[in-house]
Amino acid sequence: MTDKSKGFTRRQILVSSAASLAVGAAASAKAATVAGTPGWIPFDHNGPMHYDTPGWQFFTAEEAREVEAIVERLIPADDLSVSGKDAGCAVFIDRQLAGEYGTFARLYREGPFTPGTPAQADQSPLVPQERYRIGLAALGKYCQAQFQKPFSGLEGEQRDKVLTDLEKGAITLEGIDAQFFFQQVLGNTMEGFFADPIYGGNRDMVSWKMIGFPGARYDYRDYIALHNQKLDLVPLSIIGSSAWNKKG
Amino acid sequence: MKTTLSLCAGLLALSLGTANAASGGDSYNLVQKGRYLATLGDCTACHTQPGKPLFAGGVSIDTPFGKLVGANITPDPETGIGGWSFEDFQNVMSKGHAPGDKRLYGAMPYTAYTKVSREDNQAIWAYLQTVQPVHNPVETNLLPFPFNLRSSLIAWNLLNFEEGEFKPDAKKSEQWNRGAYLVQGLGHCGTCHTPKSLTGGDKNDAFLAGADLQGWVAPNITADPHAGIGAWSVEEIVQYLKTGANRFDIASGPMAEAVEHSTQHWKDEDLMAVAVYLKDDPRTDWPKPVEPLAADSPAMVAGKAIYADRCSACHVGSGEGIAHLFPKLAKAPLVNAADTASLIRVVLAGSRAGGTEAAPTAPAMPSFAWNLSDENIADVLTYVRNSWGNSASPVSSAEVTDLRDSLNER
Repeated sequence: MTDKSKGFTRRQILVSSAASLAVGAAASAKAATVAGTPGWIPFDHNGPMHYDTPGWQFFTAEEAREVEAIVERLIPADDLSVSGKDAGCAVFIDRQLAGEYGTFARLYREGPFTPGTPAQADQSPLVPQERYRIGLAALGKYCQAQFQKPFSGLEGEQRDKVLTDLEKGAITLEGIDAQFFFQQVLGNTMEGFFADPIYGGNRDMVSWKMIGFPGARYDYRDYIALHNQKLDLVPLSIIGSSAWNKKG
Repeated sequence: MKTTLSLCAGLLALSLGTANAASGGDSYNLVQKGRYLATLGDCTACHTQPGKPLFAGGVSIDTPFGKLVGANITPDPETGIGGWSFEDFQNVMSKGHAPGDKRLYGAMPYTAYTKVSREDNQAIWAYLQTVQPVHNPVETNLLPFPFNLRSSLIAWNLLNFEEGEFKPDAKKSEQWNRGAYLVQGLGHCGTCHTPKSLTGGDKNDAFLAGADLQGWVAPNITADPHAGIGAWSVEEIVQYLKTGANRFDIASGPMAEAVEHSTQHWKDEDLMAVAVYLKDDPRTDWPKPVEPLAADSPAMVAGKAIYADRCSACHVGSGEGIAHLFPKLAKAPLVNAADTASLIRVVLAGSRAGGTEAAPTAPAMPSFAWNLSDENIADVLTYVRNSWGNSASPVSSAEVTDLRDSLNER
């Protein structure tokens, strides 16, 4: 006991010097020193730039028509909400693909690309922009061969059948795995339906009103004490809220 | 070796300079005193550009009459004040007269500096002699006609200037008198905080009652409990000036600069004297606050919703803020000020608070110009100005539009 407390053992010294070497190396490789007050620019903001820009940012008009036909069936209009198309899901996906997500600009993208187990998630060499461009073209080709029409030209039930087959892997697409493509579009459609309207989907906060989500609020400190009361909070988007409009 | 030699040469030059400046006496102490007094006077605000040599001039000063530029006050003989004598400097400080019968504009606050004692001016002068001379020609007068005619200043001085050193009030304590000397003299608080007449002179009957400052408001710092800082304790005033923040407020805009460059470096006893003086205001007949707007008026209802969604995260639903981090809006002088420029400005453009040695965080307010309409901003400010004990005139969306346009033009 007393021996140990007198100083480091040889092992402790070796371990600690290795650790401090590693820390030193990491620090010198990418160190930024901020002195004084950090920089600040008046009128600065980093909101999404093009949620209200008219026109398609990534899709061609033809691609956009097909994506709208897909999201219209993935989330059909019913007595709960408008369709995925009318909620702006295709617009959301278009803006998403035009941004950093479309090229996976912020992900590690060096190979090797080998098929992994499902637990290893996405191992595709294709970035989302390619997935849509290749997948939509292949789907168009499949529909032309089967029905002599584009996907958007099919009746509702035919479209559902094609989508179901994609999901089950009963269809083979050229250049991309059908199930993989289906999951990509389904995932992005749900994101578009439930994300903040500032990103182009969830128009008029339609999904939030449907499920009673009060929106992007900082916290609920002011409501903690209000027990057993219906709050009826008007949903709030990053863009704003209808409660901000002056009445009368 | 080279370094050592040049260092020695530098020290020699320095000691020669100070020895020349101080007519006998302890020149080191005199220079140190002058350095501190120059910090009290915040000479650097107008005479040093950020990142440029000390006191080499060139800082642009916007006035309602046009643009003036801070002069080069290094001892450079050609472009600075190297050719001046102490008497020349004393005349500038006490009369606003520079050599060559040149009358200075009030942007050089000689209307306040006239209160500075001759003894203190000698120390400042000794210190200025030790500053590195920099050759930097500065055209100080960029005013348009007719304001560019310095002869107009003879009349201006008759209207707006009373020459004379500070006279202590024997009925008050030494501490109070020190505070009065600093506030009225070197601190030149009134240069920003006292409302101006049509000619740009101080309205001294409204001393420190708040003024418009080219897109900012210098708030009311009288002891008025509603519109001023009457609710602040002496310790809280000291804390604000020392650290840039207290439980009420955080310095931003021009005051952030004043705190960073000047007041955080003041001695505690000087700050205490200032606070004691500011709290002991002979005026008691403060204007009655206006009645707050009814909570159910349309602007208040809309403003309350905007406040809850955009402001309450930091400033808290009750307007109390978070001490030292997010300014308190309830009963804050600036919030209740008649002039709304600073309020509108920080919501539009955002703001960075001052960072001091004692409180280095310098928290920032984000810009809402992209996300709130002019009407939204007017409504939320109207709500803030009429809630939690605040009461002030409503803000119109036209005011917001005007400031948005003028800030975008800069």
